[in-house]
Amino acid sequence: MPATVTSITPRRGSEPARAPQPSRRPFRDNPRLILAGIGVLLVVLVALLVIANGTSQFSPDFLSEFVLYALSAADLTMLAALGFVLARNIVKLIVERRKALPFARFRAKLVALLLGMTLVPTVLVLIVGSELIRTNIDRWFNAPMADILSSANQIASDYYREQQMLASDHASRLARTLSGVDLANADVRPIRDLLAPDVTLQRVQMVEVYRVVPSSGSLSSLEPVIDVAAPALASGHSRAAADRLAAQALAGAAETKSIETLGAAGDLLHAAALIRAKDGKPSGVVVATAYLTGDLAARSRRMTKAFEDYNQLRVLKRPLTGLYLSFFFMVTLLILFGATWMGSYLAKRITRPVLLLAAAAREIGAGRLDQRVEPQSSDEFGSLVEAFNAMARELAAGRRKVDRGTIQLERKHGEVEGRRRYIETILERIATGVVSVDASGAITTINTAAARLLSLDRQIVGQPALAVFDRADLQPLSALLAGAGGQNRGESPAHEIALAREGQELHLAAVATALVGDSGAAEGVVLVLDDVTPLIRAQKVAAWREVARRLAHEIKNPLTPIQLSAERLRRHFAGAPPQAKALVDECTQTIIGEVESLKGLVDEFSQFARMPSPRTVPTDLAQLITDTVALYNGIFTDVRIDQRFAPGVPLVRLDAEQIRRVIINLMDNAIEAMERRGQIVVETQLDAANSVVRVFVADDGPGIPASEREKLFLPYYSTKRRGSGLGLAIVRRIIAEHGGSIDVGDNTPRGSRFTIELPC
Amino acid sequence: MLFVVLSGSVSAAGVDPDLTVMPIARDGQVVVSFDLSDGYTADVRDAIQSGLSTTFSYEVDLRRGSTLLDRTVASVTITAVVRFDNLTRRYQMSRTVDGRVEDARPTEDANAVRVWMTHFERIPLSATSSLENNGEYYVRVRAHTRPHNAWFFWPWGGTASGQAKFTFIQ
Repeated sequence: MPATVTSITPRRGSEPARAPQPSRRPFRDNPRLILAGIGVLLVVLVALLVIANGTSQFSPDFLSEFVLYALSAADLTMLAALGFVLARNIVKLIVERRKALPFARFRAKLVALLLGMTLVPTVLVLIVGSELIRTNIDRWFNAPMADILSSANQIASDYYREQQMLASDHASRLARTLSGVDLANADVRPIRDLLAPDVTLQRVQMVEVYRVVPSSGSLSSLEPVIDVAAPALASGHSRAAADRLAAQALAGAAETKSIETLGAAGDLLHAAALIRAKDGKPSGVVVATAYLTGDLAARSRRMTKAFEDYNQLRVLKRPLTGLYLSFFFMVTLLILFGATWMGSYLAKRITRPVLLLAAAAREIGAGRLDQRVEPQSSDEFGSLVEAFNAMARELAAGRRKVDRGTIQLERKHGEVEGRRRYIETILERIATGVVSVDASGAITTINTAAARLLSLDRQIVGQPALAVFDRADLQPLSALLAGAGGQNRGESPAHEIALAREGQELHLAAVATALVGDSGAAEGVVLVLDDVTPLIRAQKVAAWREVARRLAHEIKNPLTPIQLSAERLRRHFAGAPPQAKALVDECTQTIIGEVESLKGLVDEFSQFARMPSPRTVPTDLAQLITDTVALYNGIFTDVRIDQRFAPGVPLVRLDAEQIRRVIINLMDNAIEAMERRGQIVVETQLDAANSVVRVFVADDGPGIPASEREKLFLPYYSTKRRGSGLGLAIVRRIIAEHGGSIDVGDNTPRGSRFTIELPC
Repeated sequence: MLFVVLSGSVSAAGVDPDLTVMPIARDGQVVVSFDLSDGYTADVRDAIQSGLSTTFSYEVDLRRGSTLLDRTVASVTITAVVRFDNLTRRYQMSRTVDGRVEDARPTEDANAVRVWMTHFERIPLSATSSLENNGEYYVRVRAHTRPHNAWFFWPWGGTASGQAKFTFIQ
């Protein structure tokens, strides 16, 4: 057997998997038993051959019954077995083909091929051989041989018969001669004289005379009287045969002749005749004996034996022919049976290791690399199995290496992924906008801040940057990207770009940096956008504060002399004519009034310029708003103020005085915008996710156009006829000093809505 | 006094050769005579003449009929053997009953040999005392010859048999 075992189940251990062996058929899978079976068959065949060759040595019964019966039974058994094997193979082939089992067709073809190759010549040999057997057996019994043997037997038989007839004639003649002799007489010399000439003249070799002795009853007995024998008569004979024959003759038996065989000494042919007295009654018996020498008798026996053997063969021609044909037929069946079995055996011997290899290959293909096929022979199949196992070992080792590499790769991938997520989180959380463009000009990354700053949808990832930034307000970015891509080295200088967003101006500091790989090849551009709007605003506020401080300083100093001078003029012209006095009073009053107005303006400027840093303490924002709103109770009867506070708002660190001022400013602006008639809603909202608390102050006044909204928070910008234009600038500054922001939008359904965000 | 009424019928089961069976109950004995004259064929004669020791073996059974299994009341095996000496042209014949040699004699008469081998008279089978009144019985005789001149591939067969039914009435 080339191979028998393949493991089916995978193992985790270091040892290759060795599954339980498939069931081994004790005979067909055991070469020793097969060889022993073939040996037994050969011995049986040789024995049958010996029997067939030695049929003449067996009795006819043994030949025609035992041997022929045994061979016929063996033939029928083998024929049935062959039919069974063929039918089984055919049924098995059909079943295997229906089940689409591998190598079914190959096995069938191999068996059919071997059977076909064997069947045709074997059947031809059987037919020709059978005919030859019949012909040869027929030739055994040809006419000349039968005639020769028959003639030889006839000669021998006739000689014996003639000798016996002579002896019988002599016995009859002597009986007649002795009919007048008194056999009861004690003197036997006369009888001897009568008998001696026949013996002397070699007519017979021995004469024995018996006389009848009457006894009681009807039976008579014989008593030997005399016997005369020739000297040449062989010794060793007895009187028993003559006595028996004499008794038979006396008893009246028809058979009065007998043959006494002396073995190598020859045969004695006895013949008896009754001696009758004159009254016709038997008075005695004479037995004449002719002697055939040993050589003559032996030759006669051989001739008869040859004749009988020949005739027996002729008689047994049919079973003898059947014996040879049965034997020949059995050999044919053995060959066919052997061919069928050998075909099946060879097919299995070839296909079984292939099937095992295929099964193991399927297991390995399924990922169970510990499968092995156990080689059990050193032939080509054994080499194939060894090569397969070596391949499986290499695959298993490779798989282990790959697994280790995969684990390391996964670990590194996890680290990289974690780092990527970390960076992505940072990119998503930072306020700086980041846009990356690959070498082909397509946008690969845009974070939330960039999308928000540029008012872009994040779905633009993958689109060409030039197309995305072709929008009118984003064209500076397109030029910046183009410039950075052209430089291909380092980063471009920061550019400040102003974008209009919902009526407000958004200032961005944009820096485009070309990405260069380790090989020096351009890998794209990264665009970094910083919202510098608060910074610009702070710079403007600082500038205005400086202006205010200088203005207050430069203006306030001459105001007092001007006011004093005007009052001096009015006092000087107090005694002047009424017309002149009226003119002076009117002018000085105007001067004094305007100076007072200028002083107020300068005071506001001073206050704006000298606003202190807030001193924040944890404060209940709702209580602060409630207290502040309470200041307006009963003042504006046509204004309704609603307060809505979100639950769970924590204490907020703030400067209560400054925030109260903010709220008062916003309330005053709202009341004035509504022309002291309408509804104001003050509302708080907690955004725990962003850790901010929002305060909304909404009115149902005419609202603020979008184009005016950004300017609202600039110093010295006012929509009121009288106002310094510093109120909302101070509000914004206070909120900014608290780390928050303020914005304005439309209220629903009408009016304006200011939103303050404070960190909490 | 016993009155024995025998109602017998003769039949031959074998197609070739015929075996005639005649059972008789008389003097307190069931005896059977049978004849297989057709069995003494030319092949048998040739076999005898060739000097082969030729045997005719007869199995004689007295059986009681039954619905399921018939019961054997008595059984006798008779063998007739003849051998021809081509040198002396004499036949040596013998008969055995259940293995015992009953008779042996020489002859030169071929017809006597045929009768010796195939014709049997008054072979005692059983005492009538062992039979049941009004019982249905039959005597079956199966004959085998040796040597059997068998045919190739299917040597079986060649057995002649015959049987005769009777009702035993006492």
